[in-house]
Amino acid sequence: MESTKKYWKGLEEVNNTPEFAEHAKNEFAEPIPVDELLQGSGLNSVAPRRDFLKAMGFGLGAVSLAACNVAPVQKSIPYLVKPEEVTPGVPNYYASSYKGGAIIVKTREGRPIKIEGNPACPINRGGTDSQAQASVLDLYDNSKLKGPLKGGAEYSWDDVDTYVKRGLAKAQAAGKTIALVSSTINSPSTKAVIAEFSTQYPATKHVTYDAISYSGIIKANEQSFGKAVLPQYRFDKANVIVSFGADFLGSWISPTQFSTQYASNRNIASLNNKKMSRHIQFESGLSLTGSNADSRVAIKLSEEGPALLSLYAEVSGASVSGASLNNQPANAAIKLAAKELLAAKGAALVVSGSNSVAVQTTVNAINSLLGSYGNTIDLDNPSYQYAGKDEDFTLLLTDMNAGRVGAVMFLDANPAYSHPLAKEFTEALKKVDLSISFADRPDETASLCKVIAPNHHYLEAWGDENALEGYYTLVQPTINPIFNTRQAEVSLLTWANYPNQDYYAFVRSNWEKTVLAATGKKWDDVLQSGIISLPAKTGGAYAFTGSVDAGTVAKESAALAKDIELHIYQSVSIGSGAQANNPLLQEVPDPVSKVTWDNYAAINPKFAESLGLKQFDVVAIKTDKYSVELPVLHQPGQAQGTISVAVGYGRTKSGKVGDGVGKNVYPFITYTQGNAHFANTVTVSNTGGYEELAQTQTHHTIEGRNVIRETTFADYKKDPAHGSGNHGEKHPTYDLWNKYDQPGHNWVMAIDLNACTGCGACIVACNVENNVPVVGKDEVRRRREMHWLRIDRYYTFNEEGKAITEEHELEGTKGNMENVSVVHQPMLCQHCEHAPCETVCPVLATVHSTEGLNHMAYNRCVGTRYCANNCPYKVRRFNWFNYWNDSRFDNYLNNEFTQLVLNPDVTTRFRGVMEKCSMCIQRIQAGKLEAKMEKRALVDGDIKMACQQACASNAIIFGDANDPNSEVSKALKNERTYYVLEELNVQPGVGYMTKVTNTGSQEA
Amino acid sequence: MRNFSSHFRSLLKPLALAGIIAISAVNFSFGQEAAPADSSATASTAPSAGGGPAGDAAAGEALFKSNCGACHAIDKRVLGPALAGINQKQSNEWLHKWIKNSQGLIASGDKDAVAIFEEFNKMAMPAFPQLSDADIDNILAYVEEAGAKKPEAATAAGGATAAAEDTGVSSFMIIGLVAVVLIAFLVIVVLNRVIGTLERLLVTKEAEQNVYVEDEEAEAEEKDRFRVVKQLAKNKKFVFFVVLALLITLGSFGYMDMWNTGVQTGYQPVQPIKFSHQLHAGTNQIDCQYCHSGAWKSKNATIPSLNICMNCHKYVQATDKYNGEISPEIQKIYTALDYNPETQKYGNNTRPIEWVRIHNLPDLAYFNHSQHVSVAGIECQKCHGPIQEMEEVYQYSPLTMKWCINCHKETEVNSKGNAYYDKVIAAHDSIKKGEKVTAAVLGGLECGKCHY
Repeated sequence: MESTKKYWKGLEEVNNTPEFAEHAKNEFAEPIPVDELLQGSGLNSVAPRRDFLKAMGFGLGAVSLAACNVAPVQKSIPYLVKPEEVTPGVPNYYASSYKGGAIIVKTREGRPIKIEGNPACPINRGGTDSQAQASVLDLYDNSKLKGPLKGGAEYSWDDVDTYVKRGLAKAQAAGKTIALVSSTINSPSTKAVIAEFSTQYPATKHVTYDAISYSGIIKANEQSFGKAVLPQYRFDKANVIVSFGADFLGSWISPTQFSTQYASNRNIASLNNKKMSRHIQFESGLSLTGSNADSRVAIKLSEEGPALLSLYAEVSGASVSGASLNNQPANAAIKLAAKELLAAKGAALVVSGSNSVAVQTTVNAINSLLGSYGNTIDLDNPSYQYAGKDEDFTLLLTDMNAGRVGAVMFLDANPAYSHPLAKEFTEALKKVDLSISFADRPDETASLCKVIAPNHHYLEAWGDENALEGYYTLVQPTINPIFNTRQAEVSLLTWANYPNQDYYAFVRSNWEKTVLAATGKKWDDVLQSGIISLPAKTGGAYAFTGSVDAGTVAKESAALAKDIELHIYQSVSIGSGAQANNPLLQEVPDPVSKVTWDNYAAINPKFAESLGLKQFDVVAIKTDKYSVELPVLHQPGQAQGTISVAVGYGRTKSGKVGDGVGKNVYPFITYTQGNAHFANTVTVSNTGGYEELAQTQTHHTIEGRNVIRETTFADYKKDPAHGSGNHGEKHPTYDLWNKYDQPGHNWVMAIDLNACTGCGACIVACNVENNVPVVGKDEVRRRREMHWLRIDRYYTFNEEGKAITEEHELEGTKGNMENVSVVHQPMLCQHCEHAPCETVCPVLATVHSTEGLNHMAYNRCVGTRYCANNCPYKVRRFNWFNYWNDSRFDNYLNNEFTQLVLNPDVTTRFRGVMEKCSMCIQRIQAGKLEAKMEKRALVDGDIKMACQQACASNAIIFGDANDPNSEVSKALKNERTYYVLEELNVQPGVGYMTKVTNTGSQEA
Repeated sequence: MRNFSSHFRSLLKPLALAGIIAISAVNFSFGQEAAPADSSATASTAPSAGGGPAGDAAAGEALFKSNCGACHAIDKRVLGPALAGINQKQSNEWLHKWIKNSQGLIASGDKDAVAIFEEFNKMAMPAFPQLSDADIDNILAYVEEAGAKKPEAATAAGGATAAAEDTGVSSFMIIGLVAVVLIAFLVIVVLNRVIGTLERLLVTKEAEQNVYVEDEEAEAEEKDRFRVVKQLAKNKKFVFFVVLALLITLGSFGYMDMWNTGVQTGYQPVQPIKFSHQLHAGTNQIDCQYCHSGAWKSKNATIPSLNICMNCHKYVQATDKYNGEISPEIQKIYTALDYNPETQKYGNNTRPIEWVRIHNLPDLAYFNHSQHVSVAGIECQKCHGPIQEMEEVYQYSPLTMKWCINCHKETEVNSKGNAYYDKVIAAHDSIKKGEKVTAAVLGGLECGKCHY
């Protein structure tokens, strides 16, 4: 039986609102006002003869003046002394590291222009997330400081040094603490610098504080196993994964690493071996991870504790107090999950997104019973990505208030924005004599400090990172500092009167003493590869010595069950908000809600109805201490009685882009037992306001066409072609068009819907590679986003384990809108053989190539937009403005600094032309040329698309279909392969592989 | 009228006088110039005596040029010290030792040898064991002779040019003055004649009134002359034909002109340095890619950075053409690099050279040199014209899309020995056998190959 599930993109489509029905007919949101022009004051208005003559005269004059313009003289300025490794026009690649993951930085003529994952990276395996991809733009952010500031005025580094040294000496002499507040530092060299600093100033105290804290897990591990570490989770070794609110594919600890691991049990290779992991998610807001889960159960935040306790009871067989869950579907799911977990003992993994020690101890107890330690959880090779201790910062706050702190420094920490006690902190900071920030911009904390000693961007700096035990990466500069900044480590060494302040020499000698000495490797070799990976330590099994504190778990949960439960989460692209001033990240649609440029109050439509809240109504979310006003978003899948709001928004001093985008909800974070909890209980009231969110989700409709094909793992095992519509022989097809020959190459792509998690890293990678402009919130509202690649998210109802198949069933079974399944589908130009866009172009601006691509010649395009209207996939984007030379877009990418990030091999498009995915033709041409110059045949894998390269889960495969041994040829021969809208016989070049859901033994 | 003419005539006489005086002055100055020129010529031949080392200076010159010239000059420090007067400074024996094996001499601890070595930043002079004692004597003889000749010749020549320049300036001025006077004189003569003619006409007009009848007949004749034209103008077919022909001619001219809009063939801007490709690529036969080193591996051929210029121009200074001074154009390189040729040190006050770009391909077109140079093996001259004959570079090809496409249609793909093409050509052959495989056949005309 083929699936005839009904898919929908948004509530508008389900409810078929009149507005939606109207927009569905049009490719473009706003019609061109032709009628208005013809009927209204347009053509009927009388143009007086004199006016006409004036206009004509002016026009003629202007034209002839313009014609007088001689071609401008262009200068060509060579290097005085060319650096040996630079050849203008040829990119150089340097190994570096971002947030502990190895990356490769592509530079052109000394400018970094693209970040690529390093395939040799043992954790991310060449994958990157959207933040890493966008980080190259942060380098050219012109909101950054141009030099050091003291008291808000520009100062020289020498003056700053004298001032700071005097201040530090004073603090030291007075016996006061010198505090260094930083986010987690896992760099061995930075730690050594801090140690050097501490020897000069023994009063130094290093306080580690993370905006998003994992201190609960660290503490729980200390209690349970005597090791205060963040363990390394191994989703690749887990056959059954149960997650309680942990968004491990989107934002939890190390999402890129986890995506890689997670996909390895769900991709083509795994399915070919008839193996697939099972993933059950219990959560309140619909997260990216939840949208990928095989079974997702919406539970309130207050139910998380009891649910976990009942799972513990089920797994251990003991009776646990407080393990009663007043939620029938969840109860059933817990029983089922317990059964499956026990069956997969040794390959089972339970994770929780909570930061409560009691909850994490319970999770540890369950994992311990399931034999996860040593298998799916590695305590011997822990992660050093987060080491913040929430208590330390609160202690510092008391010290500051008591006047015991003489100097405080902030390195990559912005507590005035991201700490729930920001107000108290601001007051306390006034009592400190010397406050220094190393922030690269006058952010919320830095602007309160007396001195700002701006740090380098990581692409300008030397450094190293140690994200995991035994895994070291080097950071090397790829450009000279753009502004008059100085590396924070150098500042610290200067103030500590360290003899040699050359940080390169410091890092190198530090490595030669430690890591290089241990491995016997040479510095130059390591600098080239960027990585040192020691063999993993093997340890014994860990015996659980903690105790499950059911009372605390139940109490913590019960505390939330007062009013409406507020779920605080990190959005996938903005995260903690440190990169909020990055327009690329702001414009990436949220993977689930498809909202850009804002945070919002996500409420279940049914629950919102009961509160009388309509879509986009502005509501006030209040506790007794803090309140914000945010627009409502009806979010299917959201648990009843809960509201989800993302942190990372509402920055006030991040820069021109990030300021005033959304509202800050960090102050809602509560503290219990010294740990930050990302939950609160709030009241919600309608303010009567209305604010339309800039969503991309409803911009196109598929009008009920069968674009998603799905199957279950059980069906797949019986028939791999199940659900794909592949029934052996194809229908005979008849073509109106001539067939195109592809004698040389035939570039095609295969996208595995089962591997794709929908994270959106590919979108940013595509934007950076292809100079795709950022258009801003207003333009997105007008449906004018320019992304060449979008990820469509389709919902289906999943009531009582049964998919809705008939249209008329929709009405009755919308239920409480909690049980929805989600499929993510990357959609880009399909490079059709019989492309409908080509036949309607009146000027032949879009034509077919002999290599199977659909070319777009921008300079030929006159902007009729016929092609966009005729494209069944809705992938063509129209340039409504000259985004690269229009003052309205200055804040995004159109300024003298950010334009340095442009890829010089790709033209920027002008106003009035159509654009679309070119299949990174510049990469294809470059790859071919490289082969030609080396006089060898092109090898499969030589050419990689930007999206493919960024994808952590390898969901995108690109290659030559004429090569029968290429990876893509093999993928397209897979039984699961289908083509979107293949019934139109446009013969797309992009094949998709069915989404497989592992509904588990019971549900199948 | 009459007043004016008399005015002119009265002016004529003194002006003519002034002209004559001026011309005679020029003659006088030319006459004066001859004397110092002669004296310099005699002076230069005079001194060539002086006892040098026993050797054949003529044979030495050839040896010097082939062995020493790369690093040494007679009167100027290049890579090594200036050699003039070396025979007086050092003993013949010492020089023999040094030339045969300078390092040996240094190692032996010779004070002078060590001093020289230190002075030149421990740059070792290669040993010349292949030179016989006689050879060395010959070279030293040449150095002696040239060293003696050079300074005197330089001063003499300098004096001569200085004198020539002095008179040159004044004679130019005088010639210019004379020319102005002559032209003024001619104008006056012509104007005078015009005035005369006009006066004569005035007189005849007065007489004309008497012969009115004759005039009427002339007019009638004129009417007849236009009759044919008028008749033709009435012929609609003819008019149509003429208009059509005119339209076609003008139209086709316009059309051709439109095609050439924005085409900059022949564009030859003034460059900051008068760099001659004719000299470098033509006369000196320097390979294009020695300087334009990006051409084989990059999309840009690249304008050479100044360190490439300095490979040669550290000692090629064209002083012989500029009387011992460094050529002003080469000096521009030094200025840009803040390089002091005396001390051979680089300073910090650098200024890049702003060349004017000649070949301006629009941004929307992607062009890659390496594809054409490395892969296709096309000569630079195919697109850039006879560059080795260009004193100043101009745009030779139109760089239009039509021009690109034509070449892609005609040029056979250079696929021999390139394994990349093996499969591509084989696949192509199976479809269209026997046809010439041009770039166009392999998709070289597709939009996306150049526009992305």
